[in-house]
Order: sequence, then structure tokens, then C-alpha cells
Amino acid sequence: MKKALLALLIALMLMPVALFANGNTEGGSSAATVNYPKGNMDFVAPAGAGGGWDLTIRTVAKTLADTKLVTVPMPVRNAPGAGGAVHLGTLQAKKSDDKTITVYSPPIIFFNLNGTSPYGFRNTTPLARLIADYAAFVVKADSPYKTINDVMDALKKDPKSVKIGGTSAAGSMDHVQFLIVAAAAGVKNLDQIDYVAFDDDGATQVMGGHIDLFSTSLADVMGLIESGDLKALAQTSDHRIGTGLKAEIPTCQEMGIDVTFQNWRGLFGSPGMPEYAQTYWRETLAKMVQTPEWKAMLEKYGWDNVYQDAPDFEKFLEQTEASYKQILTEIGMI
Amino acid sequence: MESLQLLFHGFTIAAQPMNILWVTIGGILGTIVGMLPGLGPATGVAVLLPLTFTMGPVAALITMGGVYYGAMYGGSRSSILINTPGDGAAIAATFDGYPMAMSGRAESALAMSAIASFIGGTISTFLIAFLAVPVSKFALKFGPSEYFLLYLFALTATATMSEGDKVKGFAAMILGLMIATIGIDMQSGVSRFTFGILELQGGIDFLIVIIAMFALGEVLKSFKNISDGKKQMQTKFGKVWISKADWKVSWKPILRATPIGFFVGVLPGAGGTIASLMAYSTEKQLSDHPEQFGHGAIEGLAAPEAANNSASVGALIPMLALGVPGSGTTAVMMGALLMLGLQPGPKLFQMQTEIVWGLIASMFIGNIILAVINIPMAGLLVRVLSVPPKILYPIVLALTFIGTYAISNSVSSFYLLLIFGLMGYFLGKAKYPTSPLVLAVIVGNSMEQSFRRAYTLSNASFDFLVSSPLCIILIILTIGAIVLPFIQDYMRNKKKAVNA
Repeated sequence: MKKALLALLIALMLMPVALFANGNTEGGSSAATVNYPKGNMDFVAPAGAGGGWDLTIRTVAKTLADTKLVTVPMPVRNAPGAGGAVHLGTLQAKKSDDKTITVYSPPIIFFNLNGTSPYGFRNTTPLARLIADYAAFVVKADSPYKTINDVMDALKKDPKSVKIGGTSAAGSMDHVQFLIVAAAAGVKNLDQIDYVAFDDDGATQVMGGHIDLFSTSLADVMGLIESGDLKALAQTSDHRIGTGLKAEIPTCQEMGIDVTFQNWRGLFGSPGMPEYAQTYWRETLAKMVQTPEWKAMLEKYGWDNVYQDAPDFEKFLEQTEASYKQILTEIGMI
Repeated sequence: MESLQLLFHGFTIAAQPMNILWVTIGGILGTIVGMLPGLGPATGVAVLLPLTFTMGPVAALITMGGVYYGAMYGGSRSSILINTPGDGAAIAATFDGYPMAMSGRAESALAMSAIASFIGGTISTFLIAFLAVPVSKFALKFGPSEYFLLYLFALTATATMSEGDKVKGFAAMILGLMIATIGIDMQSGVSRFTFGILELQGGIDFLIVIIAMFALGEVLKSFKNISDGKKQMQTKFGKVWISKADWKVSWKPILRATPIGFFVGVLPGAGGTIASLMAYSTEKQLSDHPEQFGHGAIEGLAAPEAANNSASVGALIPMLALGVPGSGTTAVMMGALLMLGLQPGPKLFQMQTEIVWGLIASMFIGNIILAVINIPMAGLLVRVLSVPPKILYPIVLALTFIGTYAISNSVSSFYLLLIFGLMGYFLGKAKYPTSPLVLAVIVGNSMEQSFRRAYTLSNASFDFLVSSPLCIILIILTIGAIVLPFIQDYMRNKKKAVNA
């Protein structure tokens, strides 16, 4: 009996090891220019399961496997911590590694600018920009604010009159995407505007009237917009997106505010990723975005295709960083 | 009436053999991950996530649901047997469950935990079936000020938990609140007390503190007893069931705890931990023998067990009725829904009746299956107590490290585990209670953030404290929770004086 119990306990103990082990990715990288990729890749979502990064990299892995563009196993690992900054830190120890592929989005710029992390996109090897979602500014159905211009007019009169909420920390994405639009609309005193950060549910807060406007990504609130509980005043793309109700949401540009904000997601390798690996992944991803399987995924999740190869992607990263920096300086965060 | 029809339709889906199989697999997996410190329902659901790619949406949701409430059954097993809560929601089960096991009543404790979980889970499934939409509207009334006062109320539970020296209990709570301030402050974006260490930016995971304080603390404490040869192992085991007397003192607490758990669970972010602690302190205050709480009072185990299962069901409401995650686990489940191409939101409840009602019906079936599995399983698990401590405690020690790694996927958290483990050991030696500290770590950050949000939203004034009827009710409850124990103490002393 005791032995059986012990065996059970040992089995229980080993279970998490089995669950969390992800084929150690050593060896096979030396001068293997012809024979790449070899062995397991290490796909990392630098956040918990179920989030946007996780969904993106799992979808990429699935598409690459389904289309047989990549035939080696691509297990996805979650390495959460400090909004992705912890994984970027560990990545620094893997210089010139050719196995790790990871996904990031605007936070890789924000957490570097606001000082959370000493590392930023320059400490990675950008491979490609793949998809985008857009910011949406939503109010509750019976809000006195009927258009985004109503909000901006109120803020121009009194920067304290409209309470903005979001689900990222002050000085990070949800906050800055609103301020970029406010600045473009001519609102002064950006640092006076009250922004309140919630952990993960801003939607109930705006529905309950606790905040006036919820700055979020369109995908997160589409369900509540369809049901009529929330109303989207504007989205930040340069074109109408999707179909049906989604396509009825005006862009900021249409409302006379000449600005766009993209919540892009792209893939990155470790810093100093070898040439052959960079070439392989850039070519493979260029092929992937052309496949019907990938296009079907974009349709399914409502993502916009914003594919950019590495050189353009890097230029894009430099430009967006400059515009975020300007806003953060203006509100005194850097 | 319409709900009844839909529910019946749900049963025809949930009772399909494949779906019964899925809910059983989910429930067993949930019980196991719940049992292991550090692995909670969120991990269990996350492990299943890749699988859901290949399942239909109904089967996926049913399986993940099974993991979710299955973990609530499992979480308290290790609380009772080795004083090591599987996750936050199982902390309250250590208060009376472990003393029960130590006094040779482990079988009753395990049976009661399964029975209370079953009743809590089943009643709250009825509540979700008929009240989901109105209750989700009620949750909207909770803004930052209400949340702040709710957390404050939960924190007063520490007043009832601390045995003996109230000043020491208070000091432990303050220490916990201090630990909770570590990390990036959401409202200002500033890092606090991180000393430039990247791993601390996200704050200290309260699960690590729980594992360190309870499990590692228990191991360290036991070493001395083992070397002294004082630690006795249990050799004879009775039937895993409860006596009539146990049931008589417990049924009322279970019925009271179920709605508490359900409503707290519905509030996004509050969750099973707060629900079970609130149920525990409610029972202790209502009891006519509160001095037995903490020393193996079976109703002190029954109430939080019913509450945390009920809360896990309640937490599904924001996800199903509004499409917003109510907890870490439901956030992962929502991710799965998205992967399956479903748009969570109010429309889901109206349009996708198969999925929603299939899930609800499967919860009735799942609860019965889990209760049936858990009672015989308890008969096996209880024999953990017959393992010689020399073998058992090294295994527990290994589990603490595995659990910590599972939470953070990072070896650097081992330092935190050791630091808090030693802290727990020395605090225990100095007779400082660790429960108020752990509770403060759990609610501290949310409480502070809610306060700051409310303060900003009311234009830097304290008006928010009385801004709604809900706020005033919560304030009254909080004052009552602090004052009542003192009055009770006073009354008892007076009675003793009269009797003497």
C-alpha cells in the first residue's frame, strides 16, 4: 500500500515536469546552413495562455505546420512576466540562438521607453510584422458623447471632465493610444487628463458608468458593441474594417482627426540571430502570409494583414517609437 | 420557463456519452492540478488549450469547465492533509481542515469538503441557470469605490482569523500589505521596490507566498518534530464519511456560504479566495462557539468549501453573459472561445444556446461525477498521513519547488520561495499568525489600486466612500466585522465571570 502510494505521489510530482518540459533546444546550430531548421523550434508567447500574443504565435505555428512550410515541431511555450519584459530579459542570454521565435507588439516599445525594461526591440532580431488590430474608444450606449469630437471638445474645455480608462498601466498602450488621438485633435494639457488603469476588465466599468470612455482594442469589445451595450466612437485604422456593425465604426481620420494607431503584432528572433536562420524565417513567413490557410485565420479572428518584411518592419519600429516618445515626454513620463 | 426548456435542451447535449467522458476527464485533471501546490485551474485549462483546437466548442468548454470546478474539489485536499493549499481559494480550508486531520478526523474533513463542494457547486449552477443575466447587471454597479470597500471588508476577516495577540495579527497584515506594493504601479507606471530586478516588476505572485508560508513553513516546522521523533503518523483509517452530528452543524453554514460565494465570484477580479475567506469569517462570527474555529470545527471547513465552488461557478457569468473575464481561469477559457472563432459577449448567451446551456447542464453532471470520484479518492489520499514524515516532507519540499516553477516558469522565483519560507518559519516561531499576512498579499494590491482609481475618478476627493448605497452597506459590514469580535470576547468574559 505504502509503495503504491509513493508511486502515486511520484507520478503526481512528475506530472508538472512533463507538462512544462519543452524539448530542450540545444545543439545543431553550428554551421548548419543547409540543414536548417533541425530539431524542435522554441516558439514563445511572452505572456500567459489565452491572450493576444499567445493566440498569434499559436496560430502562426499551426498555419506553418498545416501548410507544411515548416516540418520540424514548433511547440509553443508561455513565459509570462512584467508584460513581456521578463522574457525579453532572458532572451538576452540566448545571443545568436537560432531556435527561439517570439511575438511582440507595441508594449516592446513602451516598456523600454517608460523604463520598465532596459531592453527594447533593438535587443532582438525583428523578422516580420504580421497582423494588426486597432484601438477603439468606446462609451456606454446612453453616453452623452455621441462622437469622438464631443469627447475632444469636452477635454479642450476641461481636461478633467472626461475620465478615461484602460487595461494597461499609465504610460503604456491603452493610455498612449488615446493621448495620440487627443493630441492630434488639438487637446492641450495632455498631462491633466485623468487615466485610470484596470486589471483586466474595463468593459464592465464603462458599462456601469464608473468611467466615461474606455480605450481598448476593437477585438476585445466587439461582442458588447454588437449587443448594443457599448458604442464605439472611433477606431484608429486608416480604413473601415471588417463587415457589418464593425464596418460602421468611423475612423479618426474621417472625424477630422488626422492620426492612426496600430496595435501590430510581429515576430522576433533572439539578438544576433544567425544569417541563415533570419533568411529562412523571413522567406518562410513571406510564403505563409500568401497561403489561403493564413488568410482564413485572419478572417476568423478579425485581424488585418499588415505584413512587412524585416527591413521595412525595422523602419516602422523606429518611426513608431519616435511618436510614442513624443507623447510620453509631453505627459512627463520620460 | 424558457430557461427550463433551454436547460433541458442543454441536458440532451451534455448527456451525450462523449461529453460525459470529457467532463469526467476535465474533472479528474482539475482535481489533480488543484491538489498540487502552485498548479491551479488556470494552468489546467492552459494545458488543455492546444487540445481545444481539435474539439468542438461545446466539448472544449465542457472540458475546461470540468477542470475549473474540479480544481476547487482538489485544492483543499492538500490543505487538509499537509497544510498546503493548492491555490488561494483553498487557504481557508487549512484553518480547520488541517487541525481536523491532526486530531485524527481527516476522513470526515475530506468527506465534508467533497460534500460541501458538491452542494455549493450544484446550488450555484441552479443560480447561474436562472439568474445569470440579472446578476451580471448587478455586477456592473461595482465600480472602483465598491471594490475598494469590498476588499477592505475581506481584509477585516484577518481580525477574526488572528488567534491570541491581535497586535501581532495586525502587524502581520501590515507586512503583507507592504509586500503587495512591490511591482509596477498601474496608475502611475512607476516601479516600486523592485531594486531594478526585472522579475519583480510584475509584483510578487501571491501563490508563491502561499506555497512558501504554508508548505515550506510546514516542512521547516516539521523537521524539528521529526528529529525529536514527536511527529506521529496515522495508522488506522476509518470510513470516509461524515457523522450525523457533523452534518447537523454544517448544513446551515453551507447554505449561507453558497450565495456569498456566488455573488463574490460574479464580480470580476474578486474570486474564490475572497469568497471562501468571507464565508469563513461569517461563520465564525455567527457561531456560538467561535473559540473552536481554527481548532478543527467542521463547519469552519464546510463553509469555505461550499463558497469557493460556488464562486467558481459565479465567475463564469461575466464570461458567458458579458464576454469579459471574471478570473484568470475564465480569461484563458475566453481565449479558447476566440480560438474556436466565437465572439464572447452578450450575444453568445442569446445566440449560442447550445454552447451555453450545454455547459450549464454539464456542470450539474460534472458535480455529481466529481462528488462520486472524490469520496473513494479521499480514502486513498488520506493514507498520505500514514507515510512516515521522513519520506513525506521531502516530497512536500520538492512539490513546493515544482509548484513555484509552474507558476513563474522561472528559476529565479526559487529565491522568493526560500525568502518567504524562512520568513514564515520565523514569524511562526515568534507567534505571528501567517494567514493575515497571506490574505493581505492577496488583496493588498487590488485594494490599493481600487482606492487610487476611485480617488482619481472623484476628482481627488473622498466623496467616493459614500457615493452609493452599496458603499454604505459595505462600510457598515466592515465596521461590524471589526467591532463584533471584541463585543463577543467581552460578552464571553462577562459570562465566564458570572459562571465563576
